[in-house]
Amino acid sequence: MANLSFIIFCPLVAAVLIALLPRTFNVLFRAVALLATGLSLLGAVRVFVGFDSAATGLQYEQHFRWVDALGIGYHVGVDGLNVGLVLMAALVAFAAVCVSREIRERQQLYYMLVLAMAGGILGAFASFDLFLFYFFHELALVPTFILIGVWGRGAQRNYATFKLTLYLSLGALVALIGLIALYVQAGQTSFNLLHLTRHLALNPMAPGTQSWIFGLLLFGFGILVSLWPFHTWAPLGYAAAPTAAAMLHAGVLKKFGLYGLIRIALPLLPAGAQSWMNLLALLCLGNILYCGLVALRQRDLNHLLGNSSVAHMGFAFLGIASLNVLGVTGAVVVMVAHGLLAALSFALSGFLYHRLGTLEMDQMGGLLQRLPFVGGVMVMAMFAGCGLPGFANFPGEALVLFGAWKSYPTVTVFACWGALVIAAVYMLRAVRAIWHGPPLDRWKDLVDAPNLWVKLPYALLLAGLLVFGCFPRLLTDPMQPVVSQIVQRIHGETVTP
Amino acid sequence: MNAVLPWLVLLPPLLAAVTITLGALKRPVAAARLSIGAIAVSLAASVVLFARDASGVTSFTWLQVGGLAVEFGLRLDPVSLLMLLVVTGVGGVIHVYSWGYLEGDPGRPRYFAGLSLFSFAMLGIVLSSNLLQMFVFWELVGVSSYLLIGFWHARPAAAEASKKAFLTNRVGDFGFLLGLVLVWTTMGTLELRELEARLTVQPGALGAAATAIGLLIFCGAVGKSAQFPLHVWLPDAMEGPTPVSALIHAATMVAAGVYLLSRIFFLLNAPALTVVAWIGGLTALLAALMALQQDDLKRILAYSTLSQLGYMVLAVGVAGAEGTPVAAMYHLATHASFKALLFLGAGSVIHALHHQQDIWRMGGLARRMPVTFLTFLVATLALCGVPPFSGFYSKDVILVLAWEHHASLLFLLVVFVAGLTTAYMFRLLLVVFAGPARSQDPDHAHESPPVMTVPLLLLAVPTVLAGFWGHRRLVGTGLRCAGLPHRFVGGTSDCPVRACAGAGSGGPGRGVPWRWRGLAAVPGCVARSAAGTPGPVEPVDAGSILLRRVVRPTDCRHSGRGGLVGRRV
Repeated sequence: MANLSFIIFCPLVAAVLIALLPRTFNVLFRAVALLATGLSLLGAVRVFVGFDSAATGLQYEQHFRWVDALGIGYHVGVDGLNVGLVLMAALVAFAAVCVSREIRERQQLYYMLVLAMAGGILGAFASFDLFLFYFFHELALVPTFILIGVWGRGAQRNYATFKLTLYLSLGALVALIGLIALYVQAGQTSFNLLHLTRHLALNPMAPGTQSWIFGLLLFGFGILVSLWPFHTWAPLGYAAAPTAAAMLHAGVLKKFGLYGLIRIALPLLPAGAQSWMNLLALLCLGNILYCGLVALRQRDLNHLLGNSSVAHMGFAFLGIASLNVLGVTGAVVVMVAHGLLAALSFALSGFLYHRLGTLEMDQMGGLLQRLPFVGGVMVMAMFAGCGLPGFANFPGEALVLFGAWKSYPTVTVFACWGALVIAAVYMLRAVRAIWHGPPLDRWKDLVDAPNLWVKLPYALLLAGLLVFGCFPRLLTDPMQPVVSQIVQRIHGETVTP
Repeated sequence: MNAVLPWLVLLPPLLAAVTITLGALKRPVAAARLSIGAIAVSLAASVVLFARDASGVTSFTWLQVGGLAVEFGLRLDPVSLLMLLVVTGVGGVIHVYSWGYLEGDPGRPRYFAGLSLFSFAMLGIVLSSNLLQMFVFWELVGVSSYLLIGFWHARPAAAEASKKAFLTNRVGDFGFLLGLVLVWTTMGTLELRELEARLTVQPGALGAAATAIGLLIFCGAVGKSAQFPLHVWLPDAMEGPTPVSALIHAATMVAAGVYLLSRIFFLLNAPALTVVAWIGGLTALLAALMALQQDDLKRILAYSTLSQLGYMVLAVGVAGAEGTPVAAMYHLATHASFKALLFLGAGSVIHALHHQQDIWRMGGLARRMPVTFLTFLVATLALCGVPPFSGFYSKDVILVLAWEHHASLLFLLVVFVAGLTTAYMFRLLLVVFAGPARSQDPDHAHESPPVMTVPLLLLAVPTVLAGFWGHRRLVGTGLRCAGLPHRFVGGTSDCPVRACAGAGSGGPGRGVPWRWRGLAAVPGCVARSAAGTPGPVEPVDAGSILLRRVVRPTDCRHSGRGGLVGRRV
């Protein structure tokens, strides 16, 4: 079970299986999906536990040849950088299937798409082949569009789908051009990431070439991660998306861009990276401050969560921009933490939407009395969102701030303000509006999550946040060798020219 | 040092909080037992540690990335031992009291979970061995305070107050975090002991950033200890249940800022200390003036807390760069007991009057609630600095410091505030406990059950005696007057001017509320009634105050105006 291909293909095979089942077997679709993502989660836990943080190099590696002529292979493995991400992705995928109880129409297609998304995401994070990496990402991205278009909600659904599709396709396209350019410039021999790294370490590209390729990757991946000012698709899209799609996309798929930057762009284009980092540091302030302030003004819970999620991405970008061990490690911790957090928040808002039929915060109030469990978990999630210690976001953001101070002190001061004050203001205002205050009569018949089974996905995600928050070394220790290698490559390169 | 005992202090409250949250949210009795049991274990472990005079650090590495190594350590030294006793002692008493105060409230399990979480976080601050760890617990204290202020979250005022408290604190924490980052970039470590050792050897190591570092970290203390200009949240925080106000917003959490300052005292240079002293003095003055204007029982005490916190912060500021902040810690310890006692007494009154908090609807409660009255009186005397109660000694030391450091303006200011303190406290005491009932409410009042009065009596013990306990044992570094006889007379022999000023300032203070509109607001004056008819002769001194139970004081019914003296009922 502790086998990456098993983890990746469990959901994908299950998707095919569901496609083959007769259309009337509604109960089975969900059961198969739960089983597949559950197995995949167990596998990911086994991999995470079995991961040897003292060893260097890839673990659980699997390598098959695929298209020899182009140097494409099926190559998966984990090192310290992605072992946490794979676990987080598997956990979110399982939780997303759990909360899909609300879907009543076209269940067959729905579960197929969700499983394809889950498999694609897991594959993308585990890949060590550029082609495979991109392939899995597209496998996950396309179902997102369909999920939002078909099962989405709200009056702006079509517009949101349209906008999100355009933005994300554009981002993916720019990133693809960047990746192809990288492949071509590196000698067109292999898509294998390890080969490329070794090759480019020995024969680095000219700094000018590195710079424009890095620019393509930065903005391509940046659009996928909602880098300011290309972020406007995100809040709209998440507000319109069905719960599972919002969880999977905001939580996990979005991290693909950041992961691509850290895994591919930084080590392969070290000189290029340095030429763009000042700009990136400024843009991430756009995320942290501008989107944080926008979140303040939202009256719809999902818009608030969407903007807050965009704001949190700013910290990951800032960590990358600082180009030191602390910052990059912090960025990865933020990715894992925010993945769990975004999934949890959207799962809870989905629960609320399902019960209330609206997410307008003005119409809520005093709900904590009716929904103590969901309310309690959401209050905790919101505290996690404003960087409370004990939740995984805190070590991530703290590392980013410590790291960024060395490179960009002024930016760090503003980021600190965004992390501690702005985030707290919008989160606590939301808590006040939704959960506190006198209970309203119109919600007197609400029913809380009735049993353990319904509570499970929320509890799992929250537990993830708490475990990594209390013991951040689970994530950071395995990461150290990889991150220091990447950083050394960047700073080693500055000395030579 | 025994490596298990410090953990036995820290972890039981956390375990209680987690267990209640997971399994006892519908079982109030079990929750209360767990919570009280946990704090009792912490208290016992603290007492053992204190008795052994333990010192040292036990730690493990919490986070290690690049050049940043963060230990999770428990540090024991005289300062943290004293603070442990304060937190677990006062905390334990208040845990028990809460059981009585919240009798019948359906949210009790949630309350006790919050209280245990708070105890854990507060003990964490006390035991922290490095600054980032302290920041972690600092935030946790903030959030438990949020949860407890907002305990009755269905009440809009409580919900707003909890939000305000957390956000105001966050503004202070912004400075604190920046200060941490600056310390780390200049010194390369966040371990307090290492920092202290390095700065002792090489005092200029902080370079140009020294003042900035000191003031940024001070921002954190300004937020948590509610100093001007971030004092705005504390009065509103009185929306929480009264035991919470006693524990968190009087005795412990708000004192955390002062504790932080004494922990990072070596980081503060002379300019930073001047700012600290003036912020403290200003807060003491402003809060005392505001306390005079309040009609809500708990808000008067809240402003009084602000004012006393101002004293402590000032004490840190005037300790001088070569000194030690023992005076602040001493006042912190005595203040924790008598202010908690005042709040619990107020809680007892509020409980008896079915959540009536307006002092002008009380009156004559001394007869109906004798235990509450007597303990409240003792605490009031301590707060006003009447010898030989504990407050006299701790306030006295602060006056000495201000005098000796030639901060004559600050000295005059605190002497004036000492007078104001007496004024607003006796106003409160007399209006609530003396005279006839001012509304129907007190008619049905009766003394609270033993579960509430026993904690009052327990807290009265340190309130009376803490001044006699040798400081050398209490605060580690000796002040000049250590032994009991010397302590008692020391106040006057060391510095007669200051001693007379301190004691004298209380006199007019006690006279002022007694006969506000009378011109003869001087010690030992004759009080006359508002209507101009001759009143009883009232010598104003500590002994005569006890007599006031049976003597009718000025009655607000004669006074047709609101504000300081009374208002139309």
